Amino acid sequence: MKYAILSTLLFGLLISGCRPTNKVNRINPSETTDLSGRWNDTDARMVSEEMISDALTKPWLNQHNRQHQQSPVVIVGNVRNESMEHIDTEVITKEMERAFVNSGSVNVVASSDERQDIRQERLEQQEFASLETMKEMAQELGADFMLIGNISSVVDETPDRRTLAVFYTVNLELVNVETNQKVWIGNKKIKKLIERRNYRG
Amino acid sequence: MGAKIIINKAGFHLFYLAAVIFLSGCHAYMLDDAQHDLRSSFISGNYQESSKLLQEFEHKEIYKSKDAVLKNLEAGLIHHFAGNFDSSSVFFDNAETLIDDAYTKSISRGFKAMLVNDNTLVYDGEPYEDIYLNAFKSLNYVHQNNWEGALVETRRMAFKMEQLDIRLKGLAEAFAREDTTGKVDWHSGKTNIQNSAFSHYLAAILYAKTGKPDDSRIEFEKLAIALREQEKINKRSPAKITDLEKIRNPHSYNVLITAFSGQAPIKKQEDFRLWLNGENDNSFYVKFSLPKIDLYKSRVQNIRIVTDSLQKSDLELIEEMDVVSAEVYKAKIPIIYTRSLLRATIKATGSSYLASSVRDKNKGIGLLVDVLGILGQESSEKADLRGWQTMPGKAWMNVINLPTGINEIEIQYLSASGSILYSEKRTIEITEQTKLGLIESIYSY
Repeated sequence: MKYAILSTLLFGLLISGCRPTNKVNRINPSETTDLSGRWNDTDARMVSEEMISDALTKPWLNQHNRQHQQSPVVIVGNVRNESMEHIDTEVITKEMERAFVNSGSVNVVASSDERQDIRQERLEQQEFASLETMKEMAQELGADFMLIGNISSVVDETPDRRTLAVFYTVNLELVNVETNQKVWIGNKKIKKLIERRNYRG
Repeated sequence: MGAKIIINKAGFHLFYLAAVIFLSGCHAYMLDDAQHDLRSSFISGNYQESSKLLQEFEHKEIYKSKDAVLKNLEAGLIHHFAGNFDSSSVFFDNAETLIDDAYTKSISRGFKAMLVNDNTLVYDGEPYEDIYLNAFKSLNYVHQNNWEGALVETRRMAFKMEQLDIRLKGLAEAFAREDTTGKVDWHSGKTNIQNSAFSHYLAAILYAKTGKPDDSRIEFEKLAIALREQEKINKRSPAKITDLEKIRNPHSYNVLITAFSGQAPIKKQEDFRLWLNGENDNSFYVKFSLPKIDLYKSRVQNIRIVTDSLQKSDLELIEEMDVVSAEVYKAKIPIIYTRSLLRATIKATGSSYLASSVRDKNKGIGLLVDVLGILGQESSEKADLRGWQTMPGKAWMNVINLPTGINEIEIQYLSASGSILYSEKRTIEITEQTKLGLIESIYSY
């Protein structure tokens, strides 16, 4: 009888312990959350912050302003993901666009994907909008520089796959659209050592 | 009185253990049947039915949480061929993560898992399954015009192939570390392949199409190495690298045609039963079950495409996935066999020792324990026959250039005599903007 009661209690405890519960906490977006070891928001933020401060302080900006007496116009091109993970490179480029626009010293124009809709809208305005509000055709701002780049990674792991070293290198470049001259090259390296714990049983 | 209690307790524990082992063995046989049914359903081409069947098996708990890798692999491929590429990628992502977790876990358990029937363990996926899930994920991304995503998958595939030997050696080393008997030589076999022609073929095309001729050239060179490696193990002659030069010129084609034939290798059980002589004239019974892998013999010997302008061309046999799978599995066999033999011996000597101790007190009950021991071994020893059932056997590919407009392509699966075993028509719309369209087909017989 004593064993039966003890077994029931133990079983009850196990059942209650196994019940899945979801707990959600809002945390500061700038807080580091390394869960799987894969590329995450912290990596994207680290890259963006370093690239932005580097791009806005390097000589290309002043040189352009001196030569043309106006802020440069930048278009975001393709930042290729050449790593072994699915990385949304737009997180980085959008951060850079935001920093450029907010700094007031670099103008940013819509990327080739974005402008399709805008061009379509302008085209339709010619037919449907009032004359006073209709926007003119062929008034787009031509870009002086294009931001391009790539992210690549090198992975090394132990035979038991418990320790994994991942080395990411992010290259961003500003290329003069007229001359193909590269006026700024930013590079950020991130190296991660991932120790996988035997967390499932 | 004391002896009677001991015997009763021992009898009870044996009976309880036998019941548990019998039930777990029973589940493994149910899963074998379910796998067979799923394979039959999939090869018929009714993917909705296959999806329903898989859900039904999950609902009936035939695919348990320990079989989650399998369930995700099957669902991934069923959704792939049903055209649900997003869902397919999600299932394959799950499978890949679970394989990763399970591998780390299984390697840590090492020798401790020896007493448990392999079927009761979490299925950590065969190395070739881990590789080929990326092949279908990459095709999912090509279908969705996400070439960067597709290239990520081809890179993962190539990396896993290169790591294969190291990974298998790691598994053997983990068992050797945990094995305190010191009597067993834990080692893995050698694989003759370290490259996937499929991944390099696809990557060469995608790099060429994304304006990276240098990367395309490197992938093409690796493709040549992969084809040479596969020539050593292939049942048929793979494509000749000189016939594939076209893929490096991105302007010479706008459509990639991929066709799959045959089926995944079939795992079968081989039982061995022995009576061995022990100490004091005691003989004991040992049963061990080993898995072996059989290739499915596909009738398809060639695949031809016919465009609506009656232009004909053959698809190239790029990868015999079934042969590669068997080769990769071969390298794991020494580990599986050593484990099975050791486990069977431990069980046999254990039950023999228990029976002889009981026999000293009571001959009749000793005989009963002997019989129970044999029954226990019979029901608990079962080879692990779990595997990705819906995986195709052979991958055929080629590129063609189609004119703008709606094009109809007939894909003909031919026998050795050249007769059409099966054909299906696919339409594809080509516009001025089409850089690379993808037509995919499968015939599993």
